[in-house]
Amino acid sequence: MSEKGKGASTGGGKERSFLHAAGSNIWYFFNSLKLTLGVLITLALVSIIGTVIEQNQPVEQYLAAYGERWTGIIFKTGLHNMYHSWWFLALLAMLALNIVVCTFERFPPKWKSLLNHIPDKFDPRLIEKLAHNKTVTVNTSASTAVERMSKALKKKGYCISQSGSGSESFIYAWRGRVGRLGSDFVHISLLLILLGAIIGSYSGFKSFDAVYVGDLMKVPTAEFKLRLDKFWIDYYDTGQVRQYNSMITIVEDGKEVLTKQIWVNEPLSYKGIRFYQSSYGMAWNRVEEAQIGVRKKGSEEVTDVFTIKWNEKANVPGTPYDVKLVGYTADYEYDKAKGIVTSKSAEPNNPAVMFEIYEGADMIGGALVFLNHPGLYPSLPESANADLVFGGYKGIMYSGISINKDPGTNVVWAGSLVMGLGFYLAFFVYHRRVWVHVRQTGKSAEVKFGGMINKNTLALERELDDIADSIVSDR
Amino acid sequence: MILSLVFFTFSLVFYFITALLYLGHWIFKKKWIGQTATAMSFVALMSTSMILISRAGESGHAPFSNLWESMMLFIWATNIGYLIMEYKHKFKVLGVAVMTFEFLAMLSAFALPYKFKSAEPLNPALQSKWHWMSDLLARWDLQSYAIGWLDFHVFATFVGYAGFAIAFGLSIIYIFKERQETGVSTSRLMAAFPDARIIDELSYRAIAWGFPFLTVGIISGAVWADYAWGTYWSWDPKETWSLITWFVYAAYLHARVTRGWRGRKAAWISIAGFLAVIFLYWGVSFILPGLHAYA
Ligand code: HEM
Repeated sequence: MSEKGKGASTGGGKERSFLHAAGSNIWYFFNSLKLTLGVLITLALVSIIGTVIEQNQPVEQYLAAYGERWTGIIFKTGLHNMYHSWWFLALLAMLALNIVVCTFERFPPKWKSLLNHIPDKFDPRLIEKLAHNKTVTVNTSASTAVERMSKALKKKGYCISQSGSGSESFIYAWRGRVGRLGSDFVHISLLLILLGAIIGSYSGFKSFDAVYVGDLMKVPTAEFKLRLDKFWIDYYDTGQVRQYNSMITIVEDGKEVLTKQIWVNEPLSYKGIRFYQSSYGMAWNRVEEAQIGVRKKGSEEVTDVFTIKWNEKANVPGTPYDVKLVGYTADYEYDKAKGIVTSKSAEPNNPAVMFEIYEGADMIGGALVFLNHPGLYPSLPESANADLVFGGYKGIMYSGISINKDPGTNVVWAGSLVMGLGFYLAFFVYHRRVWVHVRQTGKSAEVKFGGMINKNTLALERELDDIADSIVSDR
Repeated sequence: MILSLVFFTFSLVFYFITALLYLGHWIFKKKWIGQTATAMSFVALMSTSMILISRAGESGHAPFSNLWESMMLFIWATNIGYLIMEYKHKFKVLGVAVMTFEFLAMLSAFALPYKFKSAEPLNPALQSKWHWMSDLLARWDLQSYAIGWLDFHVFATFVGYAGFAIAFGLSIIYIFKERQETGVSTSRLMAAFPDARIIDELSYRAIAWGFPFLTVGIISGAVWADYAWGTYWSWDPKETWSLITWFVYAAYLHARVTRGWRGRKAAWISIAGFLAVIFLYWGVSFILPGLHAYA
């Protein structure tokens, strides 16, 4: 903004001062702890709404619960997905801006005063103005009193700067300066956590895929694939399910990289993408193998039962024909309009297999054979004088795997660590400063000292009492 | 009858006596009553520890898996927190607020229906131990004592609640004490409490413990959720309420550094914060739907 102001020669001045004024007003607005209180309390209050109105439900549910009018209002204001609504995000953005502006305003002067804190000399009368101050008389020379004082302070962990000598001395002591940075660490960590959340929402994803035992699965955005080696269920002795397990292998550039057993709550993580066991089931559109029998025309007896594997060819005994198992559907349904076969459900209510029929190398037709309705359609050419019977099958398990990637997560964890450090500094490291003035009065020394602490004044009071005791009795 | 419930009965009596003793100390200002009260609260602490230990033995996992167990953890942590505060700052009169609260908490645990009390094996979805800890303990065949993120999460959260409970008691005293100091009331009993300034400071110290622990609790919950479900935050009611509570206490901390908000207003925020804790702890479980079973 100011760049543009400089470039414009006429009329720019007015515009610039306007922008400047607006800018400084905005800056001023965000440089306020009252705003912080307002935003925090507002966030707390509005967040309640989203715990009362169930989030991300289908419209019907809102209609049933709140009626048409309120449902309209809920959708307009985004209350059905409140924590991602623009106004909730705006509140969070205000908090973030508030933090940024406050830090810019307050950190540099604080940093400077923490660095250049040692006074050249101070007025001993100021000590009496401190909320915590004491005057004790010690029956020794001033220099011994100074020595004792230094020792007592050092024992308590203070750093010391001493000036003056002989009959009048000054000591300035300090401890726990880093504690003052605690709140800044906390604030920066909050920004980091918000950043992590933003990264996650822009470049993360979640998806789901069902993979059959033995199959390879494509992984979105990744170069590698995933193979399901095995799926099985563990049971307790009582028959209750204990765990669902998948053995999975990562295949990258045609090489097996990593094999791991996953179960509910125990994912596999590879290159920032995680794979979770999330469901399982029997495939509805595929089998491992099928048992097929042959029935001579006019006979009820099924002979020559053979097994055929998925997508493989087998000769039909007693005929010149080969069949290839190319299809399966658990709950057969024919969609007339679209002309396709589908499965009405995943349950094997009406299983059917589909074959291609070959004579030598030539495909001469197809067949559809039902488990529950043998002989519904003719399956082999007339000349075979026989029909195929679908006797049974060995199903194939699939494992439902949730896939997800959130590159922001690590930023969030990093922010959390910084926050922990910040809390430790802010709440458990106190910045204490002690000023001491020692003066010879006749044979004894008068020691006047007082201190400041940024919080926990009770701790400072106790400490000053201890120090007074130890310089009087030289413990 | 199971052992932990026997210890519970003892503890209930102990907390009753402790609360009475602190009350007596406050009213009659006798030193010996105060000393007996402190000793008794220590006895109650030991007894509460026994509840937790025997329950861990009975259920075979860390004793924070149902509402009743978590109440015991909460009462235990509040007791320890109070004793540390009393040891450091020596204001026994303040015990009356905390120990009365402890007794009421024990009573409400007592009133819970049996299904919230019984020792149950853990639902498989909740069994996930730290591998490094299982491996380490396996050397001595103790791997069943390993804990996981979830145990840590519950523990940290409840230590946080305990800090807030203490601050709550102190904030209530603060409100009355300030009225007495400013001459609005002339209660002789209120005069027995330390200066409002000191109560405010102590209440701040309690929150200065509670807030980081709540934060660690929230973050460890997020770590667990990320691991188990693949998202560290899903805005379920329990999570949201923990964040609400967190916002309120953040407001408290900033109220104390803002001129004009120190003292009474801050004390009210601390009271509001604790109401949010109670809702977070009990309200959400009983009223709102969500992923969290109880804690
Ligand atoms: C959720 C948001 C926030 C959290 C969790 C947070 C956390 C904290 C914590 C833990 C402290 C130390 C308190 C103490 O020592 O008693 C603190 C201090 C402070 N915060 Fe925040 N803060 C937040 C937002 C803000 C914002 C938006 C501002 C902007 C004005 C702000 C300004 C301050 C200031 C000025 C201090 C005192 C600094 C000092 O004494 O060194 N905070 N904050």
